[in-house]
Amino acid sequence: MTYRIAVDTGGTFTDAVVADASGILALGKALTDPERNFTGVQAAIADAAAQLGRDPRELLAATDVFIYGTTRATNAIVTRRTARTAMLLTEGFPDILVYRQGGKLRPHELTVDYPDPYVPRHLTFEIPERIDAEGGVVTPLDEARTRAVLEELAALKVEAVAVCLLWSIANPAHERRVAELIAEHLPGVPYTLSHALNPVLREYPRASSTAIDASLKPLMQEQLRLLERNLAASGYTGELLVSASLGGVMHVEDMIGRPIHLVKSGPAMAPIAGLSYAALEELGEDVVVVDTGGTTFDVSLVRNGQVSHTRETWLGEIYTGHLLGMGSVDVRSIGAGGGSIAWLDAGGLLRVGPHSAGARPGPACYGAGGEEPTVTDAAVVLGYLNPAHFLGGRMALDPAAARRVMAPIAARLGKSIEDSALAIVTVANENMIKAIQEITVKEGFDPADAILVAGGGAAGLNILPIARALGMRRVLIPRTAGALSACGALFSDMGGEAGASRYATTAEFDFAAVDALLDRLERELDEFARSLAARGLADFSRSLAVEARYAGQIWELEVPLRGRLRTAADLAALIEDFHLEHERVFAVRDPDNPIECIHWRARLRAALPRGAQRPLPQGRAGALHARAARTAYFGLLAAAPHAAAVFHGEDLAPGDRVSGPAIIEEPTTTLVVYPGTTVTVTPYGHYLCALAGPAATDAQGART
Amino acid sequence: MSEPAALSEDFDPVLLAVLSNRMDAIVREMTNTLLRAARSAVIAMSRDFSCCLVTGDGRLLASAEAAPVHVFGTHLQAQAMSELHRDLREGDAFLHNDPYLGNTHPADHTILVPVFCAGEHLFTAVAKAHQADIGNSIPTTYHAAARDVYEEGALIFPCVRVQREYRNVEDIIRMCRRRIRVPDQWYGDFLAAIGAARIGERRLQALAAQYGVPMLKDFVAAWFDYSERRIVQEIRRLPAARLENTTRHDPIPGVIPDGIALKVVLEIDPVAARIDVDLRDNPDCLPCGLNESMACAINNAMTGVLNCLDPDIPHNAGSFRRLRVHLRENCVVGIPRFPHSCSVATTNVGDRLVNATQSAFAGIGDGWGLAEGNTALSSGCAVVSGRDARHGERDYINQMFLMGGGGPASPSSDGWINLLIPVGAGLLYRDSVELDEQKYPILVRSLRLMRDSGGAGRYRGAPGTEVVYGPRQRAMRVVSAPDGWCTPPRGVHGGGDGTPGADHVLHADGRETKIEGFIDVELVPGEYIRGRDCGGGGYGDPLEREVARVLHDLRERWISRPQAEAIYGVVFREEDGVLAVDEAATQEARKRLAAARD
Repeated sequence: MTYRIAVDTGGTFTDAVVADASGILALGKALTDPERNFTGVQAAIADAAAQLGRDPRELLAATDVFIYGTTRATNAIVTRRTARTAMLLTEGFPDILVYRQGGKLRPHELTVDYPDPYVPRHLTFEIPERIDAEGGVVTPLDEARTRAVLEELAALKVEAVAVCLLWSIANPAHERRVAELIAEHLPGVPYTLSHALNPVLREYPRASSTAIDASLKPLMQEQLRLLERNLAASGYTGELLVSASLGGVMHVEDMIGRPIHLVKSGPAMAPIAGLSYAALEELGEDVVVVDTGGTTFDVSLVRNGQVSHTRETWLGEIYTGHLLGMGSVDVRSIGAGGGSIAWLDAGGLLRVGPHSAGARPGPACYGAGGEEPTVTDAAVVLGYLNPAHFLGGRMALDPAAARRVMAPIAARLGKSIEDSALAIVTVANENMIKAIQEITVKEGFDPADAILVAGGGAAGLNILPIARALGMRRVLIPRTAGALSACGALFSDMGGEAGASRYATTAEFDFAAVDALLDRLERELDEFARSLAARGLADFSRSLAVEARYAGQIWELEVPLRGRLRTAADLAALIEDFHLEHERVFAVRDPDNPIECIHWRARLRAALPRGAQRPLPQGRAGALHARAARTAYFGLLAAAPHAAAVFHGEDLAPGDRVSGPAIIEEPTTTLVVYPGTTVTVTPYGHYLCALAGPAATDAQGART
Repeated sequence: MSEPAALSEDFDPVLLAVLSNRMDAIVREMTNTLLRAARSAVIAMSRDFSCCLVTGDGRLLASAEAAPVHVFGTHLQAQAMSELHRDLREGDAFLHNDPYLGNTHPADHTILVPVFCAGEHLFTAVAKAHQADIGNSIPTTYHAAARDVYEEGALIFPCVRVQREYRNVEDIIRMCRRRIRVPDQWYGDFLAAIGAARIGERRLQALAAQYGVPMLKDFVAAWFDYSERRIVQEIRRLPAARLENTTRHDPIPGVIPDGIALKVVLEIDPVAARIDVDLRDNPDCLPCGLNESMACAINNAMTGVLNCLDPDIPHNAGSFRRLRVHLRENCVVGIPRFPHSCSVATTNVGDRLVNATQSAFAGIGDGWGLAEGNTALSSGCAVVSGRDARHGERDYINQMFLMGGGGPASPSSDGWINLLIPVGAGLLYRDSVELDEQKYPILVRSLRLMRDSGGAGRYRGAPGTEVVYGPRQRAMRVVSAPDGWCTPPRGVHGGGDGTPGADHVLHADGRETKIEGFIDVELVPGEYIRGRDCGGGGYGDPLEREVARVLHDLRERWISRPQAEAIYGVVFREEDGVLAVDEAATQEARKRLAAARD
């Protein structure tokens, strides 16, 4: 018997999921220990092991795949606990990280300070050298002055160095030479070169990713090595894999070399889970995935079976945060969740968020001193949450406190407490609807035909009305919704990517040069494939893509290649694919205009062994009985009381149908079945809800 | 003064929140479409464009993240469309860049699409984008020296139909292709704007199908009332005041030798909950391209006001009921008399208007209003043109965005670094040096923020930027019309002024030539142009600046040690090789410096 384990360390909880060839067996949860990471990891594994009746050490010894995901890199950036990092830039251009790319969200807000750069100016140094757009040397590298800068870095005791020189993507000679000088003057100090990490055009995203990567090296290298040692000491003998921003997993050694890929580790796995659940249940290949926590709501997208990626991930707010600058799974986070606070603005409009009660003091119903009404409080007032069975009974809720803090808003709105709670949930839904629209309709994707997979502890409270407002007809809530990222890691592949920039226009296409370049990228992947094969992986798939634009456009669109580009017919196919994509995303095509190809990418995925999931046994011996009934409130604008049947997940079997109003309680999540909707238990034990098309009542589920 | 209606019983506040979010989402989707699909750097890289929704009867409804200078006044264009075209129907689109008929300035090509829901013209979707070229007599979209619209030379489209039945009116497209430089670039941008407006149309129609036309109409009325309530509450917390402020656009030799004196009169009436801005006491239209269009005169005065109010108030026809801008005919900041040119209406005089209005607000007292921001649209934002020897001598023309533009200090923060200019409001994106060098045959030699350039103060103005660039293989023409080279952005309440802007040609032999006011130079390879924009003005007495901020400014090289000591009165000492503040000595030094002023 061999097991696979995925562990995901979040800000509050650490999740551990244990699976074998038949599928997921147990889901363990423990509090994250910010001081000693392994404490939470160990406790979560122990929780899962206990459910299986096994000793944790034995379980680890019988495990052959261990995948780790963590938000610690992101936390280190947010709390500024990364290494003391120096930034080396081409002489004359010291302010790339200060300027960023310009832009601002609120034009009339002139009373906020401009945010500091990722690397402070006093740790930013100018290197005398210059290369032009075609790779020619305008100013040779001044080695003597570069050495003087490096001596200064040594005196300043910097712990990491980021190097980003203009046009290093066209000619990396100067960056490479600076690296040699760093090794000489600052032996043992980790550094990152922009052309090696992220060979893209545009100095800001490249410099930003270089700075972030270098700044994470000392800390994340130490943490991953420590985890490796702790796991070995706990009985695990296999290799440690780490989930990466691109949605695949990486060997720990590769991650240590490029820790920037840790930034979306964890959340990047949610769409993989969504796709896997949808595929398992044969629900299609277009999937919108949401993950609702206490303070954030994450959305991602799978289109035609492909997880959506982006090169525009910001750490912090768009424009004023720091640009990741690298490709990553497109996971959009908004500050919305159970802890979001409701308030009335000066004009009497009900607003929810962006302020959150967080984990401390948390919503008023937590009884820890929260005095402002939150979405969770509203859910308690509406009877959606069971005060005695919250988080699988880990915490008791105080419904009286929830009603008390709701009263002032109710008085000002002139509504009852229940109507006000309903209004809070509706407005909170609106923020989430907007977040889903941002990643779907704004990118030219109509969510109506996609399946919505909802994970996270709070997802089941309001996902059905949200889906309805978006015109979505099918919603899947996995039984394991409470640990979506960790489950996703178990379904993920090993991923590798090789990329290069080379300009080519379809007006006079240089077949030979492009073919040579694709050849080089494929060879890079061959090498990667060989190293994977040596580790026992055999199931590979490859793909090629180009980022292209109409002649003179500024922004590129990624278009998959059908294969290598060797004939006029190959090129004609690419041109047609580009026109189609442009029309889909931007509503227009420009058929007479040549297309400029900018970046080329080759990707390789290697499937990890995961066995085949088996469906659960169908049917039941006796009739389905609710455990209890409680009053819950539903409606569009006015809350009407309904007697809602309460079911426990463990009582439900494939084929069971639960009609609303009802509530299904699982140990890590709660699913509210709205009146007029029916939830079916799928062959694999998950919850599927079919909805009618959009209606004016969409803001709050069905008519009541 | 009548009270705005209380939150009406018959329109639910929850639906109000829902539908206002949907409207904003539509505008954001339009914006994203235009940004990503556009061809010229000025639009796709710098985001010099805006999208908005106007009601069928011509009232501004939603303008998420749009530039104020672009959208306040769009209602004039939508109204012109309905008045000129009695045969509006679904599938129509109009091109409007006429500054005498509601547009900002001729470079802003505006696409208007009437949106029909259940057969009724319910909304107009608007996409306005600053073009890289519009066929002017010289290669720039800012022709400051143009004596009139004829010398300016722009093709003017007084709301002309460019699509019927969703198909181009090819006559108009051909006209533009004959007269606009680099026509493929223009056509790509035209398509992008049409695409954006059509996306808005689709989404609005879907919304109407879902909620029904009557409910959307009720929503619009309720949303305007809500927005009005918000601004009423805000104005009621202001003291009653009549505030006057004057400023001056700097001279342009040969065009406006004495500059242009400007005056803004503000009246705040908290009882009536109304703010009036009077611009009538100003010079007549001038024989140059600096005249404001009516749209710009209104929206620049309003921007100055809104910069000083709660930024969370929705900006639409509802909140604008409480703001009035008084204009007169034939005035440089009023209603332009044809054929006076409004080529440069969106920036120079407009920037002075925003500055004068927001700093007039500071006249209420310490804690109110703002200092002034950068007014120099330096050579870092010039329109450059020439031929590219790397690509078969192909023509190029475009506006660069390599400036910074120091933002004004406020009563609670230092200035914003990427302000650009007051009317740009920090919304525009910067160019990437690498992308500029790939697209155009130029070499940027340096680009940096300048130490000690922000006006000192309790809160400091943002530093200005210096950029140096030149052509590589062939000559290049550089055209711009920077203000701010004599009179820098002023500080308020004891805050210092920012540094003025300056543009120089750097010759191959090391000589430098200063350019005064209007830049129109041809550089040959080996020559460079150096553009400096202004630092922002400071707010409050620099001797009251938190010492921690002064120390941070010194470490981060925003200010020099002499400035930290002489202007801010902070005394430093070394602690284990690290610079620290000597608190006691600083208090003494500040007392001494304050006494020396009297």
